[in-house]
Amino acid sequence: MPAISVRNLRKTFQMKRKAAGLRGSLRALWRPSYQSIEAVRGLSFEMEDGELLGFIGPNGAGKSTTIKILTGILHPSGGEATVLGHVPWQQRQDLAFQIGSVFGQRPQLWYHLPAVDTFYLFGKIYEIDDSSLQRRISFLAEAFEIEELLETPVRKLSLGQRMRCEVAASLLHRPRVLLLDEPSIGLDVVAKQRLRMTIQRMNELEGVGVLLTSHDAGDIETLCRRVIIVNHGEIVYRDKVSSLKRRYLTVKTVDVRYNEQLAPDFSLPGVEMVKVGRYGAKMRFDTRVTPVEPVISGLAAAGSLADVTVSEPSLEDVISAIYARTEA
Amino acid sequence: MRSREAGALAVEGRVREHSAAAVAGKYWAVFRTQLLNSLAYPIDLLGRSLLIVLFMWIFMNLWRVTYGATGESSIAGLTLADTMWYLMMAEAVMLSKHDLSETFSEQVKDGSVAYLLNKPFNFILYHFAAGLGDSLLAFAGNLLIGSAVVWLMVGPPPGIAGWIFAGAAVVLSWLLDFCFSALIGLSAFVVEETNAFRWIYQKFLLLLGGVLIPLDFFPTWLQTISLNLPFAWIIYGPARLFVEPSLTRLGHVFLQQCIWLAVVGGIVWVIYRRAVARLVINGG
Repeated sequence: MPAISVRNLRKTFQMKRKAAGLRGSLRALWRPSYQSIEAVRGLSFEMEDGELLGFIGPNGAGKSTTIKILTGILHPSGGEATVLGHVPWQQRQDLAFQIGSVFGQRPQLWYHLPAVDTFYLFGKIYEIDDSSLQRRISFLAEAFEIEELLETPVRKLSLGQRMRCEVAASLLHRPRVLLLDEPSIGLDVVAKQRLRMTIQRMNELEGVGVLLTSHDAGDIETLCRRVIIVNHGEIVYRDKVSSLKRRYLTVKTVDVRYNEQLAPDFSLPGVEMVKVGRYGAKMRFDTRVTPVEPVISGLAAAGSLADVTVSEPSLEDVISAIYARTEA
Repeated sequence: MRSREAGALAVEGRVREHSAAAVAGKYWAVFRTQLLNSLAYPIDLLGRSLLIVLFMWIFMNLWRVTYGATGESSIAGLTLADTMWYLMMAEAVMLSKHDLSETFSEQVKDGSVAYLLNKPFNFILYHFAAGLGDSLLAFAGNLLIGSAVVWLMVGPPPGIAGWIFAGAAVVLSWLLDFCFSALIGLSAFVVEETNAFRWIYQKFLLLLGGVLIPLDFFPTWLQTISLNLPFAWIIYGPARLFVEPSLTRLGHVFLQQCIWLAVVGGIVWVIYRRAVARLVINGG
């Protein structure tokens, strides 16, 4: 049985509309008009027990709404969902013992107190006995490398340190499913890397299933085997991350600069020249069509190289490519 | 009700049965954590308590003149000293009650309510436990500083029975105030901005609750109205009990508080169930 199962899930919000200016305000008072916003439109997916599943999409795609429905905070407008056999919005409290959640933009640790105080509070809330809690805290402190941080007031921690404490706090009660909503938001590269490593380690050690939303393709790439991409409340792509890479991250953009002037008709076979300047060029090619090696040797042969940057499309680019394809 | 699949999935020993002690332990832990949180800023705590000095000084000047003008040593059965001790207790309750509606409102606006609804505790009871943790310290501070000032102005406080009776009634006062606050706060789930309701409630407490004037000084018709409204039993009840502690009065105050608790608490419960179902959480 899957850990999470979602069938045709829908959520519509009623938003009050108001025209600009005083007249609009008065009219809205007298006769309010509402606009229905369909945040989630018929989502269906499953997540296996112990799976690391990426759930990505641009702002307003319906990721957070879906996560909030799965934790039981929001009632859906239609469709079905079960998490560990519970219907979240009907069995919120029972389910709470078996899932953990972190909303990256909202701290759950008490801001003015050391993290360990929140850990003890959560221990009581999740009805963990004192000796088990003590062992659990030591274990998590080691796994997340936060031993030194636990007694510092949370407000004095860096964002990366705080985030590790946040995720550790959400694992105190050994949840079987962890819902992480943008855990890496605002973190620098090193902090992101550390957080990813600890999430991965906990998944391996305890088999906790993780549903992860992120803006960052790197999060998904390092952590997840499977990914679901949503846009406008609908699933636009679902497959293994490796297939996503094979299919969409094959387009490379190359920025190149030379120490000497470049021939004005500079070009390479199978490479689309985006821009050619006097000392440099920007180009794009698809590795499925044009292999990397001849491109690089062609670049080296064209003159004395000063600098080369190779970049992949951003997640947003990939999503727009996928979305454009689904709309076509 | 747990489905069979979920039971099979739940790993043994991970989740304990919910004993009454474990449930009480949760709210005790919330209370304790809030207490620690309030203690994180002792200067702020002290600062909040200093306000009562100013209020007592103003009241003292006001009532000394009033008593002087009437030429009586007591008005409606209260001496100047009684009145001052009454007002001290009324202010101590008023200044230490935790404004839950604001917390609710903030949590709904910034979306952090999401964390409180997905934990295994009751949202309303959680807030009450946290509010109590906050109120208790503030009340202790107000009482300490307020008493010192009033003692210097009008002499020693009422006997020990006054302290005990008022103390017991204040707990129910907070509970009743909490229900009103929760009612205003829950409206945040629908209207998001609750300042107007909060403002109206505060004014009811000030005038009809007996914060500014002991209700005994009101004309009979206004007294009757006030005593038949819940606001009097949040402030006037315990404060009056403080200066005139009798078992009869204690019984009467408790009875009134319990009746209003049942009424307002019941409304809160019904509205809470509905509000959660139509909750809209802000932020992506």
